[in-house]
Amino acid sequence: MKNIYQKQLTIIAACAMVLTVTLAACKRYLDVSPQGQITQDQIALDPNAAKNLVTGIYNVFYIGGFDPDIDSFQFVIMTDIASDDADKGSSPNDYGDALQIDNLQTSASNGVVNNVWTGHYQGVARANQALDKLQNAQFDAVTKNALIGEARFLRAYFYFNLVRLYGGVPLIDALPLASEANQDKYQTRATADDIYKFIVSDLDFAVANLPDKGATDVGRATKSAAQSLEAKVYLYLKNYQKAYELSQAVIAGGKYSLVKDYSLIWRQNAVNGDGGNNNSESLFEIQAGINKDCSAGINLYTVSQGPRAGGKYGWSDLGFGFNNPTSSLVNEYEAGDVRKNGTIIFINSTNGTPPPSTINPNPGTTSSGTVLFDGFRIPSQDSVQNSRYSYKAYHSRTAEANCGGNTDRLPKQVRILRYADVLLINAEAAFQLGNIGVATTDLNLVRTRAGLQNVTATLPAIWHERRVELAMEHDRFFDLVRQDAVQPGRAAAAFAAHGKTWKATAALFPIPQTQIDLSNGRLKQNPGY
Amino acid sequence: MRKLFTNLFGAVLLLLLFINASFAQQIIKGKLTDASSGETLIGVSVLVKGTTTGTQTDVNGTFSITAPANATLVFTYVGYNTEQVAVGNQTTIDVKLVLAATQLAQVVVVGYGTQRRRDVTGAVASVNGDQLAKQPVQTPTQALQGKVAGVQVLSSGQPNSAPILRIRGTGSVLGGANPLYVVDGVLTDDIRNINNSDILTLDVLKDASAAIYGVRGANGVVIITTKKGKNGPAVVSYDANVGYREVANQIKLADRGQYVAYLNDANPGRIAADDKAPLTIPGSTDWAKAVSRTAFTTNHNISVAGGSERNTYFLSANYLDDQGVIKTNGFQRFTFRANNDVNITNKLKFSEQLSLSRGAEQAVNIGGIYGNVYRAAPIIASVDGNGKYGNTSAWGNVGNPLLQLDKANNFTLNNRIQGNVALDYKPVSSLTLHSAFNTDIRYNNQKNYLYQFNADGNTFTVGGGNQRQANSSLFVQNDDSYQYTWDNTITFDKTFGQHHLTVLGGIVTEKGKSNFLNGTRQDVPANKDQWFLSLGNPDVASISNNGGGLFTRQSFVGRINYGYAGKYLLSGSLRRDGSSKFSERYGNFYTVGAGWVISEESFLKDSNIFDQLKLRASYGKLGNDNIDQSLFIVTATSNVPYYFNNGQLNLGSVIQDIKNTNLKWETTDQLDIGLDFAFLNNRLTGEADYYNKKVQNALTLVTLPGILGDPDNRYVTNAASYSNKGVEFALRWNDKISDKLTYYVGANISYNKNNVIGLNGGQTLFAGGANSRTITRTDNGQPIGSYYVLQATGVFQTQAEAAAAPTNTFEANKIGGLKYADINSDGRIDANDRVYAGSYQPKYYGGFNLGLSYNNVDLSADFTGNWGNKIYNGKKNIRGSSNDNIESAYANSRFTTANPSNTNPNVITESTPPSTYFIESGAYLRLNNLTLGYTIPAVLLKRANISRLRVYVTSQNLFILKRYSGSSPELFNTNILESGIDATNYPVTRTLAFGVNLQF
Repeated sequence: MKNIYQKQLTIIAACAMVLTVTLAACKRYLDVSPQGQITQDQIALDPNAAKNLVTGIYNVFYIGGFDPDIDSFQFVIMTDIASDDADKGSSPNDYGDALQIDNLQTSASNGVVNNVWTGHYQGVARANQALDKLQNAQFDAVTKNALIGEARFLRAYFYFNLVRLYGGVPLIDALPLASEANQDKYQTRATADDIYKFIVSDLDFAVANLPDKGATDVGRATKSAAQSLEAKVYLYLKNYQKAYELSQAVIAGGKYSLVKDYSLIWRQNAVNGDGGNNNSESLFEIQAGINKDCSAGINLYTVSQGPRAGGKYGWSDLGFGFNNPTSSLVNEYEAGDVRKNGTIIFINSTNGTPPPSTINPNPGTTSSGTVLFDGFRIPSQDSVQNSRYSYKAYHSRTAEANCGGNTDRLPKQVRILRYADVLLINAEAAFQLGNIGVATTDLNLVRTRAGLQNVTATLPAIWHERRVELAMEHDRFFDLVRQDAVQPGRAAAAFAAHGKTWKATAALFPIPQTQIDLSNGRLKQNPGY
Repeated sequence: MRKLFTNLFGAVLLLLLFINASFAQQIIKGKLTDASSGETLIGVSVLVKGTTTGTQTDVNGTFSITAPANATLVFTYVGYNTEQVAVGNQTTIDVKLVLAATQLAQVVVVGYGTQRRRDVTGAVASVNGDQLAKQPVQTPTQALQGKVAGVQVLSSGQPNSAPILRIRGTGSVLGGANPLYVVDGVLTDDIRNINNSDILTLDVLKDASAAIYGVRGANGVVIITTKKGKNGPAVVSYDANVGYREVANQIKLADRGQYVAYLNDANPGRIAADDKAPLTIPGSTDWAKAVSRTAFTTNHNISVAGGSERNTYFLSANYLDDQGVIKTNGFQRFTFRANNDVNITNKLKFSEQLSLSRGAEQAVNIGGIYGNVYRAAPIIASVDGNGKYGNTSAWGNVGNPLLQLDKANNFTLNNRIQGNVALDYKPVSSLTLHSAFNTDIRYNNQKNYLYQFNADGNTFTVGGGNQRQANSSLFVQNDDSYQYTWDNTITFDKTFGQHHLTVLGGIVTEKGKSNFLNGTRQDVPANKDQWFLSLGNPDVASISNNGGGLFTRQSFVGRINYGYAGKYLLSGSLRRDGSSKFSERYGNFYTVGAGWVISEESFLKDSNIFDQLKLRASYGKLGNDNIDQSLFIVTATSNVPYYFNNGQLNLGSVIQDIKNTNLKWETTDQLDIGLDFAFLNNRLTGEADYYNKKVQNALTLVTLPGILGDPDNRYVTNAASYSNKGVEFALRWNDKISDKLTYYVGANISYNKNNVIGLNGGQTLFAGGANSRTITRTDNGQPIGSYYVLQATGVFQTQAEAAAAPTNTFEANKIGGLKYADINSDGRIDANDRVYAGSYQPKYYGGFNLGLSYNNVDLSADFTGNWGNKIYNGKKNIRGSSNDNIESAYANSRFTTANPSNTNPNVITESTPPSTYFIESGAYLRLNNLTLGYTIPAVLLKRANISRLRVYVTSQNLFILKRYSGSSPELFNTNILESGIDATNYPVTRTLAFGVNLQF
């Protein structure tokens, strides 16, 4: 009996020991690092981290398609398709949300409206993250302020789109924690005025601190880009003096000039030094490239606007067929304006019977069609869904860089700001300030390149020029709303000519219902929705 | 001491003498055997009724006792029905004891130990392995359907898909609502590697007794114990079945005539313009038929079991081949098992349980393919006589689903080693030291090849459209994981007089690690032997190895069970769990339970009404940490590309995922009150339970406002609390009418009420649907995933009526269109007019089981069903384009001027918003299994040395009674928030199989 107790004691002692040893050894047993991911803390230790975070903001331009979107397909819907420049296109019933927008009957539950909202706030969040980490970054003041300037330039661009699309929106200038997201501060709309003030303060900083073209990497935000964007912002604010000064500074800087051949602006490659990516006219454009996993281009930007066979057949088409230039736009071009054929791919409506060839194995069902700059031949109308497509969104599958067969992210570099826009901003600001001479000079620079005669600047002449010069460049809807504020009735007239009925409340898109739901109703809807 | 003993002995002797003087005594001998197997029963208690005179059977099952002629002998043995025999003038009484049908006599596995069922204070259900093995299904959980009260099983017809199990309702949205599985000590979430024939018992911990598994016990625990050998000669068993499966209840889709008529309304002018050969065909294509087949299924199992006093063994091998009813789909599995026990000394035992499995799965993209089957135009050929496919996408429709099937080859090999080695040391009989090292190692290899094809005349009858694969591509993934659990426990078990005490203490250490590497290349040759990445185009390649998982857990377990006189039971357990998945590492989980065996009380003991009556109650706190690791750590995405200087790659980084850095596990408080009973000599047994489960700090994927810039606009946090309250009943009647005829009838029904108690500052969850129109809403006071849609009130009968109705912001009102209720009376039909319209979670579910055995024939039927739930017919609602096909029944009943229906609209388009029109009843009753067997009489087999031979025919899912118009109301959807939306389910199958059980 005694023996048994002793034995039990020994066992209990042994167990106690095992327990103690295990415990001691396992004190840090539960501290497990995330596998294959870099933590926020590690980022803070990396001297290049803040710089990489700024690069990361630019990367946000690649989002889009049917997901959150900044400058891709859904932004195109809300700017071109919404305007009198373009119709939805594709097959008549494809993409009901886009059709709503085309018909100025957008509902608050429209998915496009929500995706563009969330996409832009992704951009804002990336900028805020970079700005947050830049505060403690160990760079010299010039480098650091230049990086801050880039982040603030991009943030201003995102907010400029937001305020033009939705009016006042929540103003996020820091990094709210998820737990703070529910605060009124973040869940209610700032006024449009406050948003514009914020944009101006970001751009003031960018103008003051960004290096200019030539002093920084091609593709990064520059001082001139910030000045141009701010000039445009002031045009919307009807502060013509500021708009004039800033655009004049870019013009006087002499770093930019018009590309000689209008159609070459949207090519990847220059022809005899003229045009191509990052050409002499380009102030800010989204950069793209070819990497191994085909992730370095704007998702679906080109393919969504590509010519579509639709229910017709006989060829492998180039895209979904959205964003078709309207007859209203076609009619806007003066005779001899080279920009018409630089902007629009016209589908040949005549059917013919060419001889068989490798490109065209089925003669009899196609005509000579439309041959594009790279030699690609689109069949004639009987094999194509729509009759007009955007040439500016076209990216050659043969003559320009491609990522294998993956056409979702073709490396099309979207031109966000170009010199012709700056000239026209300058012209309009000058005109409004009574300086007709400067306005006329600017205007005729643009017209001459288009192969047109000189005219004297008037407001309608400048606005006409803006329309044809910047057609299908995602500016028209905003511009029309802006012009309507200057000269009421313009939008109604333009939409009437386009066969649609304008209403004042269509100037702003609805706040996405999803976002209103998420704010528990604190985000208030725009009138008319 | 010695003096006292002598006195007592003397008194007893005196008493015996006295008794002896009263009656004529005789010696009675006999042997006790098992009524069914004939096995001798050792240690059966033999008692002269009303006295303390008794003995036990010896190793040969024999006994000898002295009793008077007017006495009655009572034979009792754990797990068997008690028999009483009047002595009369017999001197030899051989008794065959019948195994108690009641589960009350069983031993149940409760986690880190076992208990006699009569001592259990929690709600624990047990199912014998043979009940599971008799059904021609891959996993034991599929066979559990309708068998256990409080356990809802949803399984898919897709080979190698893991069934969804809900124990007492849905208790989690993100944390995973499936129970924890414990297979011979291995904690896992996947038991598809287990051969059903290897299972001895399956125990389900339904209540807070699962707290012994702490932070993983909140959804209940299913404990699977595999077979071991028994002392005796080798028993060789061979079980096999061969059968076929087919699609059950395929919904008929519109044929050419119906489709053409529909399209003339949905897309006017289309037919007239484009319905021309060679794009279209004059007849109709049955797309469901085109992609499906009658599938072959087979299962072979062989096992050898036996052993000696020193060691026992159980060895088995199994081959399962389960073809899918969708062409090319299928799964094959080999499993091997070796379970050995070795008694090294009387005090030291070594044991191991080891399972190897290798599965080969040929997967199909069922969401895409079966979704397209419902939408593909019937006027396009599937494939013509020359092997050219019909071009549905050129028609402006979905891709050709048959082509999708044929142009992809997705093959995965799964290898898995699972098992444990354990040492048990018993220094004294009351103390057991147990150390077990359990491990689970997996290695998977996947190759997914997509064949190149163009949208031209080589592939299709007519070129065009957008269905093409411009370049072939090969995706290869290798992933591996290992997980170990090291259990160290001490168990003290002793009876002191009327007191019985069991104390358990232990430490459990756990670690898991997983990793994967995958790569993709294009232009790999189409020859199967050349499906290696190196053979592809190196310029179009990607490799991914972006992190695996690593988690650790450390736990301390303790449990005390105390019983007094078999009447009063108390138990308590505590587990302190640490998990690396959370910043707050440790939590305590516990349970307390009490039981009162009323039938043992003197006022009932002799009443002969109850064989057993037990009242029990338990309360405890459990946890759920079933989420991805490091969800609480803010991480950066590095190497995001951007280009500067005309083509110079720059790699940036992004911090964008919003995280809750204070993430915690979910906690569940559960109360259970239950009653176990057995009447009429254990012929009628049953149990009833009431439970109340409350989940707090529930992890949920909260949709974030867009302003935070999170890429998917959501994050994981502890926001919600849910409750599940319910009642369960199980009843079973079994009887023996004669030696030849026995039968049983069992039934169980469960009522569960699921409710979101509060979102506690979190956001309402919307889910499901297309075109950003959600179908479900999870919000305060409603069941999880409730439908929240417009209320359809009929169909516009005239254009004037449509014009006068409130403005519809989704689609224009027109004759034949659906009418909706303007709930907020603002003159507009929009998202603010949505109403709650039920949920997928059934109010009642259960099953009933019948069995009959007459002579050598046995028949059994298992029914399962539920009632009180709703289904959203997403196949009808979610449209890709106006050229999509429709169901035949809808085609016949839709509004037309000739048939002015007031329920079915003229057309359903992409713009048609989610509404109550698409919501249908989910009630059903299904014959899950019907088996008819015949056992060849033993006399005929003796010469062949066969001890048992049974042949049978069995059918799974023979028929269903349902109200739902879709093919099946049982939806297999792992997304809890969308679980009731019927959109892309694998077709439900019906199996007919023939089998044999052979034993040597």
